Amino acid sequence: MSRGRAMAALPPPRSTWDAINPLRLLGELSETRYWMYLLLLPSALLITAIVLFPTVYGFQLSFTEMRLNRPAGNGAFVGLKHYQRMLADPIFWLSLRNTAVWVTFSILIEFVVGLVAALALNRNLWGGKVLAVLILVPYFLPNVVAGNMWALMLDSRVGVINDILVNIGLLQEYKAWFADPNTAMATAIFVEAWHSFPFFTLLIMAGLKGIPTDLYKAADIDGAGAFAQLRLITLPMLRTIIAAAVILRVIGLVNSPDLLLILTQGGPGRSTQVLSLYAFQNAYSDFNFGYAGALSVVMFVLLMLFAWAYIRLSKVNQD
Amino acid sequence: MAQTRSGSNLIWNILSYAVLILLAVLSIGPLLWMLLTSFKVEDDIVTRTMVYLPTRFTLENYIKLWNQSGYPVLVINSLVTTTLTVAICLFTGTIASYAFSRFNFPGRTPLMLGYLVVRMFPAVLMIIPLFIVMRNLGLFDTSLGLAVAYTSFLLPLFVWMLKGFFDAAPTELESAARIDGSTRIGAMFRIVIPIARNGLVATCVFVAIAAWNEYLFALMLTSSTGSRTWPVGLQLMVGEFQLPWGMLAAGGIISIIPVIVLFALVQRVMVAGITAGAVKG
Amino acid sequence: MATLSIKGVRKSFGAVEVLNNIDIEVEDGGFLVLLGPSGCGKSTLLAIIAGLEPSSGGDILIGDKNVNDVHPKDRNIAMVFQSYALYPTMPVRRNIGFGLEMRKVDAKEREAAVQRAAELLQIEHLLDRKPGQLSGGQRQRVAMGRAIVRNPDLFLFDEPLSNLDAKLRVEMRTEIKRLHDRLGTTTVYVTHDQVEALTLGTKVAVMKGGVIQQLADPETIYDRPANMFVAGFIGSPTMNFLTGMLEHGDGGLVLRHAAGSLALVGLEQDVAAFVGREVVAGIRPETLNAGQGAAGLQGIVDVVEPTGPDTMVIVSVGGQLLTARLGPKVRPKPGDTLNLSVDTAAINLFDPVTGNRI
Repeated sequence: MSRGRAMAALPPPRSTWDAINPLRLLGELSETRYWMYLLLLPSALLITAIVLFPTVYGFQLSFTEMRLNRPAGNGAFVGLKHYQRMLADPIFWLSLRNTAVWVTFSILIEFVVGLVAALALNRNLWGGKVLAVLILVPYFLPNVVAGNMWALMLDSRVGVINDILVNIGLLQEYKAWFADPNTAMATAIFVEAWHSFPFFTLLIMAGLKGIPTDLYKAADIDGAGAFAQLRLITLPMLRTIIAAAVILRVIGLVNSPDLLLILTQGGPGRSTQVLSLYAFQNAYSDFNFGYAGALSVVMFVLLMLFAWAYIRLSKVNQD
Repeated sequence: MAQTRSGSNLIWNILSYAVLILLAVLSIGPLLWMLLTSFKVEDDIVTRTMVYLPTRFTLENYIKLWNQSGYPVLVINSLVTTTLTVAICLFTGTIASYAFSRFNFPGRTPLMLGYLVVRMFPAVLMIIPLFIVMRNLGLFDTSLGLAVAYTSFLLPLFVWMLKGFFDAAPTELESAARIDGSTRIGAMFRIVIPIARNGLVATCVFVAIAAWNEYLFALMLTSSTGSRTWPVGLQLMVGEFQLPWGMLAAGGIISIIPVIVLFALVQRVMVAGITAGAVKG
Repeated sequence: MATLSIKGVRKSFGAVEVLNNIDIEVEDGGFLVLLGPSGCGKSTLLAIIAGLEPSSGGDILIGDKNVNDVHPKDRNIAMVFQSYALYPTMPVRRNIGFGLEMRKVDAKEREAAVQRAAELLQIEHLLDRKPGQLSGGQRQRVAMGRAIVRNPDLFLFDEPLSNLDAKLRVEMRTEIKRLHDRLGTTTVYVTHDQVEALTLGTKVAVMKGGVIQQLADPETIYDRPANMFVAGFIGSPTMNFLTGMLEHGDGGLVLRHAAGSLALVGLEQDVAAFVGREVVAGIRPETLNAGQGAAGLQGIVDVVEPTGPDTMVIVSVGGQLLTARLGPKVRPKPGDTLNLSVDTAAINLFDPVTGNRI
């Protein structure tokens, strides 16, 4: 009796409508072996269309002449012309150096501040949750707002930071932080680090939660002090997560010129010119898509090399 | 022994508070200063001696921003673009993420790594070809075109982040549902997605915030007020107006209100998702 | 209700063979236990029976019907999972009735069926709670309620008790046995716990490395294990293995070991072919008794472990360690010399090369 009931509820199509009922057909489809590929199809197509195709096209562009403001000769194959020009381009080399400085120091500061914040938050102090949320806020602010906010506060005439520094005697007079080639890069790095250190805090906090507290109890009993525990337990246990965070941040810092575009546009002089910014300006201001493409290809290759070397190194260290 | 232990604990606690409060002030201080500035009259902003608290509270900056700079249109454009971006991610990304989380099939690992690696492609490398492609397809300078461009870096992020939430729902639940009479798709919509609901919302919010904040693609792929988003418009004001600090501050405050509200609503789940996605990646 | 036939079922993931030619028949109303260590393929076999995973070959028949290409939902089976797999977003009532809901059984009939199942399992008072508000034992009952409510042809259990604490596990084991006695539904039960296997099963399949080591009723599995793996896997403390030479002695066959020889009186096996060769004698701890008997061993006491009803004594017989389950009052001291009598009729002899029972 019960058997008849259960079977009767799942018959083959009961009517013409049932045979073409899209919901029923979808259900049938979901039981086939190819269901997961169907689920992946839309996103895979989309990514192919808007990531893979443009990337390949971008590589191709780097070997052609493509200047939107000079239509003559567009699309012509020029071989390695752009790459040759790049080798002889002093701005390229300067940008490369600046990129290294920009990435290295930003990450260094972000990591140290992020680590300290995470360690402090991990003590589960009263009110820690609220402080954590406040500390995470900068990460979610738009570049445009973060950049202009700091531009306002660091302004040479109305900047509140200048006023505070003069009042406490650290500064003789208001300073134009972004106009001085000696301070522009450092100031930009400070703003970038302010904007992104919460990312490290976030990841390191998650990593800290995964370290068994028994390890610290054992270290306590063995007589290891706070710094020994940090060096011997915390940092080694966080290695993978720190490696992941560093890679993601390097990618972000190398790839996106947003903040520098807003703060300095590469100036004064070329003191804050980085590769991504240089490529973007070649495309956006000069419409020299060929050269910009070549610059991005070089950036991409350098990033890949870095990621590969870095992952290998951190793996080797693990073994 | 016990005393020195709790003594050193106290010192570390005090140090931790000092660090956290300093960082919190550093994080929030600039925002408060922007808020204050947005309520100041021009004379209080541009002065010889610094005026900390506004001498006269004014909404002038907000009114001027709203009426003179076309800001409402920018905000609406941003809303449209953001909504489209989230919609595309939601429709294509949810099922992809589900497939990665649930099925073991040939090519799964390389495909998943592929979704991760596309995040490494320099924005600039993609922006240029996208610019040409969009122009040829008539998608240049449209909200849809911009949203599609955004999915190039947000869709992989969406898939990875959501996968963490799907992974948290045991596969046995689907087996149970399938034995109970659901099809696979039925189990997905009736059982798994309801369980991962909070994660889905948080992931959408994360993508929405990123799309709402984006500057570089918008700068390159829009050219008119018909589709220009607020970050581009706000930045253009820097050149358009003489010392527009008050308006800039007002614009900044208006634009980050949705971000702050959304972040506050789902921050716990979202933080969990970001970390899970990054750790596994 | 129905019979279950598993015919030549294979499963491989790439080059890895997870299941190798599995053949099992379960009679109508039978209780088959798939027993083995983790990774032996027992859960995969269950998933194939359920239709949750495709097999790489072979047939599954429920009743007379080949269900190879039938969806899990159409096999009319019910399953209880290790993690219970209760839908966290639904109250208990809907969890139990979900299978009926999916089969479009009308609400009234459904409610009555849920109520009946709940009464049977004594969980009526939990029907409006969410799974998150239940204890482990209660969840277990709900999971069983979800299985029995549909009167399926086949019950499948995937290590259902392994998430419970020791006391509840014993309680629920009894409960499952009672349910099976009452409903008489054909059942397949996966576990790594040999006690569950012996108490519940009418038929036990001991598996290792995707191969069935022995398929028999619990008594045979315990008394006459097919090989040393089964012998060692079943029973706690495990069966003792004493290696020695099989020889002709004064009154019959003897096992000559490092510390003497053991007369094999009443041996059930035909071991003529192994005379003069090395064999392994499998001796259950409870077949060893203190004192001298017709056949005996002498050893040095190594460790004494009182457990309450028994005293486990580990003795060294010429360097080979044997465990004897002795009475509660027996308390030898480490270092003592101890005489043990052996119930040699219960001994199984194994071929040390193949590990198989001779």
